[in-house]
Parts: sequence; structure tokens; C-alpha cells
Amino acid sequence: MKRIATKIFIAVFIVCFTTAPVVYAKGDDFNSVVKMIEDFYRVKHVGIPFLAKAGMKVATTAARIKGGTARRLAEAGSIKLAVFENQKFNGDFAKFRNSLNQALNVSWMPLIQTIAAGGEEQTYIFLRNAGDKTNVLVITIDERDATVVQVTLSAKNLALLLKDPEGTGKAITDEATLIDQE
Amino acid sequence: MKSSFKTPLIALLLIVMSAFVAKAQDTRIQMGSLDHLASKASQTVDVNVDERLMKLAARLFSEKDEDERQVKKLIEGLKGIYVKSFEFETEGQYVAADLEPIRTQLRGAGWTRLVNVISRKEGNTEVYLQFAGEMVNGLAVLHTDDKEVTVVNIVGPVDLDKLAQLEGQMGIPDLGIESTKSKKKTNEQ
Repeated sequence: MKRIATKIFIAVFIVCFTTAPVVYAKGDDFNSVVKMIEDFYRVKHVGIPFLAKAGMKVATTAARIKGGTARRLAEAGSIKLAVFENQKFNGDFAKFRNSLNQALNVSWMPLIQTIAAGGEEQTYIFLRNAGDKTNVLVITIDERDATVVQVTLSAKNLALLLKDPEGTGKAITDEATLIDQE
Repeated sequence: MKSSFKTPLIALLLIVMSAFVAKAQDTRIQMGSLDHLASKASQTVDVNVDERLMKLAARLFSEKDEDERQVKKLIEGLKGIYVKSFEFETEGQYVAADLEPIRTQLRGAGWTRLVNVISRKEGNTEVYLQFAGEMVNGLAVLHTDDKEVTVVNIVGPVDLDKLAQLEGQMGIPDLGIESTKSKKKTNEQ
């Protein structure tokens, strides 16, 4: 009897501690998008030390948005950032866009997607409900570089994003990546 | 005996429900047929503010904050804002046939072209409203010039004043639309 109970305990333990991370990984769309870019364009994003540095810098970075006002957009501690530097982003942008939209369709809402210069400059902004706040995913890809930024916005900053999606989307990326000059 | 009634009843309900769903979706212009122009365009903009996002915004935005109040007022009652815009480097990158699927939808029941509308922007601008009885259910703008195609579709109760307020915001381009007089031309004529 005791052996059966032990077996059940081990089985429950294995189920809890081996399947849970898999479920989490599936729900982590930021990482999925980074992986999708890596797979589609055969590129690699910059590692953690750089991101930690960028995260520290962003604490004092103010974003400049339409109207000239400078203000912080992302909620403190909410920034996830992946940077791809000086690599080739050659590929069928229409195919990439379809894959991205399909992958994010379930939990994210597309807001604006812009493509310029025959696919050499791509910007995608998606939104997701996060209780009384909103998660925003901004993906920018150009000929040599790409950035994936996920932040949490307050209602006030969501209003700014809806009023001026392109400008505020750019400001979110700038806020997350620009080196602070102060 | 009971089950023999149940099946046709369920089928009837499904048909009625799908008819309602189809009617509700009529105001949404399907713009996917234009996607192939993206490969020729120097700039493509695709805006999708759907009903989920509208509901989210309406729930989150407060009346106390000026920015939030402004946007809340703009989107009040709307069910969606959809924009597709293509800019080309040179002329002749699209032909009339490319726009035909959009025009076919706008020739459909309920859509009315407003002839009393002009645009300060160069090119040809057509503005359509969709009516359900006296109620306006949606608006569509088709703007074309030699190097540009733009389709704007606003789903929900909307008028030209609202469109004027929305221009330049929420991804809607500034089309400089102005009303001259209250005269309209219907598709049924």
C-alpha cells in the first residue's frame, strides 16, 4: 500500500514539475516571438548581459512622443527586450507577418502593422489585456537590426498609444533601447 | 417524437443566429484582397482596432484623465476601426481591378455613397455610409490617387463629424474630408 502511495506521489511530482514549465513556455509569447524571428530569419538575439544593462539604463530614460512631451511609458519593471544587431533580415515579409499574426492571434490583439521599403522596415504592435493595465508587444525589423519589446502600460499611456500608435510605439522601443544621455 | 422536433428547431436557430452574425459583420469591409499590393508598395499601413480592443479601452479609461477621456469619447459606441493604406514610389502600381472587391462590397445592400463630401487631399475620395433603417452602422472611405490606395472602415454608429475627429488619430490618415451640403446618393438609385 505504501509503495503504491509512493508511486502516486512520484507520478504527481513528475507531472507537476515537468509539465508546468512546458505550459508556461507555451504561454510566454515574448519568447515565442523572439524564437520565431530567429528561426525565420536565421538570426540570433543579443544575450542577457546586454539586456540587463539596457534595463538599468531605461530606468531614467524618458520617451519623447507626439506633442513633444517627455514621459515614461512602460510601467516600472515591466520591460522585456530582445535586440538583434547587425544581421541580415532577408525573407518573405508577407509570410513572416502571417506566421506572427497566427501565433499571437489567440491572446493578443493586433493594433497597427506597417511595412516600408519592400519589407525592409517592418513594425508590428500587439496589445493584450492585463487586468487594469495592458501589455504591449512592439516588434520592429529593418534590414540589419530588429527589436522585440514587451511592456505594460497604464490606461493613460494606452490612451496615448491608441491616439498615436506609430509615434507611441516608436517611443516605447526608444525608451527600452536608447542609451540614456543624462 | 420529441427529438424529431428538436433537430429542425436547433437547425433553424443556427440559421437565424448565423444570419444575425452575418448582418452584424456586413459593415466590416473585407480588405484582404488588397494584401498583394504590399509587395509593390513603398509603405503599407494596416490598422486593426477591433471590438475587443474597443471594449478594453472603454473599460480601462476614466473620465478624470484628459487623454483617457478624449479617446474614450472618440471610440464611444464604435465596434472597430480598420485601415489599409498603400503608398507607391511610381504610378501604375495598381489597377482598377485591384479595387473591385472593395467596390463590390460597397455596392452591396445598405451602403450609400455620400456625394456631398470633398477632400482637401489630392486624388479621388469616396465616402460611404451603411444604414440600417435610420441608423448608421458603419462608414467606409476609399481614397485613391496615382501613387496611393487607402481604405478606412469604421464599424458602428459614426458620422462625418466623428470621422473628422478621428482623422490623424488611431492610425486613420488625415484625408481632409469636408461636408458641403446634406445630399446623398444611394446605391439603389
